[in-house]
Amino acid sequence: MITLSQAVVRYPGARVNALDGASFVARPGCVTAVVGPNGSGKSTVVRALIGQASLASGSARVGPFDVATADRRALACTLAVVTQREEPTFPLLVHDYVMLGRYPHYGAWSALGPGDAAVAEVAAARTGAADLMGRRTDELSGGEWQRVRLARALAQGGDVLVLDEPGTFLDVAHEMAAFELLDELAREGRTVLLVSHQLNLVARYAAHIVLLHHGRVVAAGAPTDVMRGDVLEPVYDWPLVVARDPAVGAPVLIPLKRR
Amino acid sequence: MCAALVLTTAIALSLTACTAPAADREARETRGPAPVVDDFGDTLSLSRPAARVVSLNPVTTEAMFALGAGARLVGRTRWDASPAAVRRILDLGDGLQPNVEAVLAARPDLVVLYAAEANRAAASAFRRAGVQTLSMRTDRIADLARVLHALGVAFGDTAIARVVADSVQRSLDAIRALPPRTRELSVFWYAWDVPVITIGAGSYLDELVTIAGARNVFGDLSQPSPQVTLESVAQRNPDVVLVGPRTAARLRTDRRWHSVSAVREGRVLVVDTVLVGRPGVRMGEAARSLRALLDSAARALP
Amino acid sequence: MTNVRWMILLAALAVACVAGLAIGPVAISAGDVLRALAGSGDAQAVAIVRDLRLSRVCLAMITGAGLGMSGAALQGTLRNPLAEPYLLGVSGGAAVGAVLAVVAGLTAAVALPVAAFTGAAAAVALVLLIARVASGRADPRILLMAGVVVGAFANAAIMVLLSGAGEGTTRNALWWMMGSVAGAEWGTVRWLAVYAVIAGALLVAVARDIDLLALGEDAAAGLGVRVSSATRRIFLLSALLAAVTVAGAGLVGFVGLVVPALARAFGMRRAREVLVASAVLGAALVVTADVVARTVRAPSELPLGAVTALVGVPFFLVRLRRAA
Repeated sequence: MITLSQAVVRYPGARVNALDGASFVARPGCVTAVVGPNGSGKSTVVRALIGQASLASGSARVGPFDVATADRRALACTLAVVTQREEPTFPLLVHDYVMLGRYPHYGAWSALGPGDAAVAEVAAARTGAADLMGRRTDELSGGEWQRVRLARALAQGGDVLVLDEPGTFLDVAHEMAAFELLDELAREGRTVLLVSHQLNLVARYAAHIVLLHHGRVVAAGAPTDVMRGDVLEPVYDWPLVVARDPAVGAPVLIPLKRR
Repeated sequence: MCAALVLTTAIALSLTACTAPAADREARETRGPAPVVDDFGDTLSLSRPAARVVSLNPVTTEAMFALGAGARLVGRTRWDASPAAVRRILDLGDGLQPNVEAVLAARPDLVVLYAAEANRAAASAFRRAGVQTLSMRTDRIADLARVLHALGVAFGDTAIARVVADSVQRSLDAIRALPPRTRELSVFWYAWDVPVITIGAGSYLDELVTIAGARNVFGDLSQPSPQVTLESVAQRNPDVVLVGPRTAARLRTDRRWHSVSAVREGRVLVVDTVLVGRPGVRMGEAARSLRALLDSAARALP
Repeated sequence: MTNVRWMILLAALAVACVAGLAIGPVAISAGDVLRALAGSGDAQAVAIVRDLRLSRVCLAMITGAGLGMSGAALQGTLRNPLAEPYLLGVSGGAAVGAVLAVVAGLTAAVALPVAAFTGAAAAVALVLLIARVASGRADPRILLMAGVVVGAFANAAIMVLLSGAGEGTTRNALWWMMGSVAGAEWGTVRWLAVYAVIAGALLVAVARDIDLLALGEDAAAGLGVRVSSATRRIFLLSALLAAVTVAGAGLVGFVGLVVPALARAFGMRRAREVLVASAVLGAALVVTADVVARTVRAPSELPLGAVTALVGVPFFLVRLRRAA
């Protein structure tokens, strides 16, 4: 479970708050999505959850932890994050990379054991990265890299997953596969929080959507409650209509030409 | 910074000053023979004997006192120590790349410089400012006679210059003429520690060591101040090590130097570096003291 | 496979050390070298092997290992394969400290390293302070820029100090700035060794943080790293490790840049492996460079920094080309 209450974040030197009293809850067992236009505070939500953006007021809780005071390693054993962009400065073997997910479980001097390698194998198998384990991270395609990163996050072993724009750099098939997997992981009882601007895709998989605008939550609820022209148009400042997907019945956003 | 600015300006000015040589020649013809050309190729041309002199080289400063012209000094370097009277004269820095304005403020009619490349710009700046310069190397024994002659010309008394030069030469010859040692004495001259710097064939001290009847173990190196490895000193195994008074104690206690048998076995001689350090008018005295020091050490050798 | 790699690295170091102990103007047979190491035999041989060659080899090892580890840690943490300890103002600060000591006439054997070390520590503190004021945290890019600025300031300070100094002082300072282990003596080498081992071990202890920081700040934070304090800690340890080498051997350039890259090219990937391999390789490289420095122009010696730069500059250009 993730709970953000009245969270306020202001970056040093900024004139407005990146998060301006945002509150929402992401529950276990389903996919929750945070959506909103560029600069609405989506990525700041992720940064607040890992303690990289400190709250001026309000609170952020992940599972049993208050992010502000939690031990970071303990927090990382519960919460795994796949950030929007990540590129190792120096290439690693995929196996070693997935094993990085086990680091939070150990202090500086205790060694990782065969049990950890087993966890990494299982995680890789889960995301379809098992046959990539012997490769180098700089030899992977965008889709392979995303699966490997997800495997690393699963290897962390926590039951809260946060993903920032998981569909970026993926083609349609890989993107769909990724969302299917996230849905499955949520159904197993994990808390899955997606941050995305892919409104249509999110509307298909998320049970709960939180719409951010200028750092505030302007709408939250089931996809049908948020994916409405009268809710979205003022936020995106663009004429649009919401139709219904004829195949699966999910709401679909269609931006219009301005003239 | 200030000096650099002045020098830059001076260099710019030099491009326009090309009438000076003709004037020089005229002056020389009216005064008669003995034109002095210094080591920068500048010709000394004074209309009357120099009366206010800045000497930026301890060797020339000391030589001026020897020539009886000490009273004409209006500036010296930080390093001058001999004779004692020199301390009363204005200190104008370390003698290399002098502050041109500060020197001109002493209103000299002659500036004597050490002929190092670092001083070339200053020399031309002084000349453009209408002040005569005499830039001389003082690196070898033979340089002293030239320097004394040039100073004699500048003060209008070449006879006394001749007397002093002859006296220095005679005292050096006297030491050189002493009976040779029965056994060769090899010396290592410790000039600096890190890096180890000694004296080579190109130096006045190498000449002095030879006159004092010993052999410089690094006399085969042509540079005046070669830098060598400590182990090569151990390998050349000098009979004695010569060192200045300030560094002697450190040398004796430094474990690394115990790889040199002369140091390990206590054959370290302390040299009066103020007396011996420069090829000046006291060279004869320097050679005599070095010879005496080496003789005492040689007697202690097996 | 991994074991073979480590054997090769250790063998390279061993060969370099044997060369360092056996090669020199005074011919000493292998047996006499061993006897002298044990402290028996001819007094001259003992003094040469123990107090000249062994102390040099040890200081060269400390220098190479320290710079190699420092570079490896910084490249990962600052996420820049061209980062090296001297870029962070360490060298400049240490040089100012050393030149100040020389100008002040503090020529005792212990004074120079202590002064260099103090200067380096002051420069690092200044860099951290600038980064904190500028960005409120230990931002890698700001750290690099602050390092360059502090280094430039230090260079200016050195010029001011030297402009009023005598010939001997200038020579001392210049020699020191070109790097050399010629002045190695046990009194200094001993405490530098203790210090380098402690700082090196602490770096190895934070190796996992370096792995994670190399992924990027947010990714590292998501994996349980306190990014700012970890960056600061690694930065400080690396800088102080580099300062130890600067205190002992002056400025030996390019080792911190070249060695970690060599270790990676040799197949080391995780930070702990890269750190340890960089220590071994750096030690081997600098010991070898010192053998070259004191033999090619015997009886004179080349500055060690000149030898490492002659190897390092072409390497740097090749890497730069590949990076571009």
